[in-house]
Amino acid sequence: MGTSRNLERRTILKAAGASAAVLGLATTTGCGGESGSGDGTVTIRYSWWGAEERAERINRTIALFEKKYPKIKVKTDFQTYASFWEKFQTQAAGGNPPDVFQNAVTFLRKYDKRGILLDLNSQEKAGNLSLDHFRDGVTKVGQVDGKQLGIPVGSNTMALVVDEKVFRKAGVEPHAGWTWDDYFKALKTIHDRTRIPGDTGYFTIMYLYDLYLRQNGKAFYTEDGLGFDQADLTEWWTDGYNRVKAGIVTDPKIVQQDNPKSSLSAGHGASEFTWDNFTVRYSAEGDSTYGLAPIPTTDGRQTGQYLASLMLSASSHTSHPKEAAQFIDFMAHDPEVGRIMGYDRGILASAEQYDAYRPTDAVDKEIAQYEVDTAKAGVLGTITPHPSGADTIEASFLRIGGDLGQGKTKVSDAVKQFFTESEAAFQA
Amino acid sequence: MTLVKDPVPAARKARPAVRAATGRPGRRRENLAGYLFMSPWIAGFLLLTAGPMVASLYFAFTDYNLFNSPKWVGLDNFTQMFADPRWQKSVEVTAKYVIIGTPLKLLLALGVALLLAQSRRGQAFYRAAFYAPSLIGASVSVGFVWRSLFSDGAIVDRTQSFFGWHVGGWVGNADWVLYCLVALTVWQFGAPMVIFLAGLKQVPRELYEAAEVDGAGPVRKFWTITLPMISPVLFFNVLLETIHSFQIFGSAYVVSNTQCGPADATLVYTCYLYQQGFKNAQMGFASAMAWMLLLAVALVTAVLFWSQKKWVYYEEDAR
Repeated sequence: MGTSRNLERRTILKAAGASAAVLGLATTTGCGGESGSGDGTVTIRYSWWGAEERAERINRTIALFEKKYPKIKVKTDFQTYASFWEKFQTQAAGGNPPDVFQNAVTFLRKYDKRGILLDLNSQEKAGNLSLDHFRDGVTKVGQVDGKQLGIPVGSNTMALVVDEKVFRKAGVEPHAGWTWDDYFKALKTIHDRTRIPGDTGYFTIMYLYDLYLRQNGKAFYTEDGLGFDQADLTEWWTDGYNRVKAGIVTDPKIVQQDNPKSSLSAGHGASEFTWDNFTVRYSAEGDSTYGLAPIPTTDGRQTGQYLASLMLSASSHTSHPKEAAQFIDFMAHDPEVGRIMGYDRGILASAEQYDAYRPTDAVDKEIAQYEVDTAKAGVLGTITPHPSGADTIEASFLRIGGDLGQGKTKVSDAVKQFFTESEAAFQA
Repeated sequence: MTLVKDPVPAARKARPAVRAATGRPGRRRENLAGYLFMSPWIAGFLLLTAGPMVASLYFAFTDYNLFNSPKWVGLDNFTQMFADPRWQKSVEVTAKYVIIGTPLKLLLALGVALLLAQSRRGQAFYRAAFYAPSLIGASVSVGFVWRSLFSDGAIVDRTQSFFGWHVGGWVGNADWVLYCLVALTVWQFGAPMVIFLAGLKQVPRELYEAAEVDGAGPVRKFWTITLPMISPVLFFNVLLETIHSFQIFGSAYVVSNTQCGPADATLVYTCYLYQQGFKNAQMGFASAMAWMLLLAVALVTAVLFWSQKKWVYYEEDAR
């Protein structure tokens, strides 16, 4: 009996040991840094922000890529804009960012400072990637201190997206060179005639305030800080608040309820300042037809606009820089990819793709026309990469502006709060 | 996916296994086996709970943005926190949520438990039906359902308007949205209800019989027999629900569509902690916040334990 008990014990000990070992094993495999396999096949991870609409197109382009490069597999995931950057920040901090990811000018300095972005110049020299054949020197947008941190796949510019049906009904006709006074009068007319607020909350949008400041010889950002003072913002937000009160700008409460849909596509506002390529999304999301109108001006001429861009960047932590570069190159230059993507991420940035894609649907045609018109008007300036922390500040501007629009914060307190949070964001 | 932590610490469940230690030779090997069996759990505890806790205690005194190496700043995070209007707001919102939500939930739980304690047809069905929300209530999908129930033009808005009370949707309305969260937690009264039910079943029948002989009515019986006899259960429920309420995150995050707004109206403590840590990358500040929350919950728990001497009756006291 004694032996059998001993045996039992031994079995028990073994079982316990095994379970401990399994746990240990699980922790190591869980980290899963390995992405190569025996036959030389390499897997890279690619993440972007966007909606279902974009995901469908991107998946088709990836299938194309994998056919041409059978040794490279691409694993994807996508979120909405805010969630994407939240997740990205955590992944990057853990030293595990995706190999390739969508990027924008607001994030270049931030992640360059943190050493996350691969300088693609080296990959160009190695012949894995081409920086030639881009339209209008748009590659400059991806440069910081001589480093090429992003390759543009589409270029876009801020615009006024309008609900054409409502504008027509109200008899309002936007035109190039119209002033802010014209614009706000138009909002009032729209509200008077259709009961729909004319705008969804212009005063909470960082990129628009930037344009307004540019029209007046300033800018939202300097090299390392804010380019305006508390008095400027107090004026901007006081006007905004009064316009919400007057009903010509959508109540921020409704904007909140509509989220993640835009209040424009939900029919709770007649226009919205955003990037011109957003008409693609709004047309899929809403019931009306959406068009592009010029940005209002201060002096009847300058809009303060510039050509921004959605880019693809590679991680400096990637174990497959060559494959990542080849992937970016394919996505930026392959004509078929251009035909699939259309103007979903803005006007196609490389000449090959731009030439390959002839917009057939009304939405893309309008975007193309808008950018041609804007370029012809000669109003496009240049944009320098925003200082680190700009992403947090963009969110603060939106949030605090919304609180203020609801009448929950006094303008003076809101302005003070915004400057305090900006200070913290620049230092983080 | 459930966002609720197991209310009973796993440590307590596992303890009896360790207790077996005595001097008898051979027992030692059994102990070893015991520890080995527990090793997955111990490793999990050390790696996933104890380690991060120690780390966060250290981060609380540093400036840490996830990318730099933490820089010691002493008590800066704490002084900054107390001066921060958004932090104050988050404390206010959380306190309001706990103070309004917990008593309402417990009252409803006790009320329904009293009704269900009497034998009636379909009893099992009612118990299951009332208990169900507390199983699914913490899920993200219920958060979405809540969000649409309480929007402009949805069922709650329409019902309210029908009675001439025009508020509009509660979601997005800074004055009302917190009550939407309170409603969500009160709706999940099933868990404390089941515990109350168990407590009510334990009250000896003869006490009621004796009281009836003395001519006591139902109200009198409730106050002088039922309530004192279930006071330990009541204490347990108050304790659990209070601690639980302090940790509200999921519902606030989902109902406000990740904004914890509008105008910070649903900026519960953990929501602000999350924003500071994971959106603004102020991990030092967020860690300091986490430790403040732990201290606050510990303090409230201590006060509750101290107060139970005054109002909780344990039979074995024989006083």
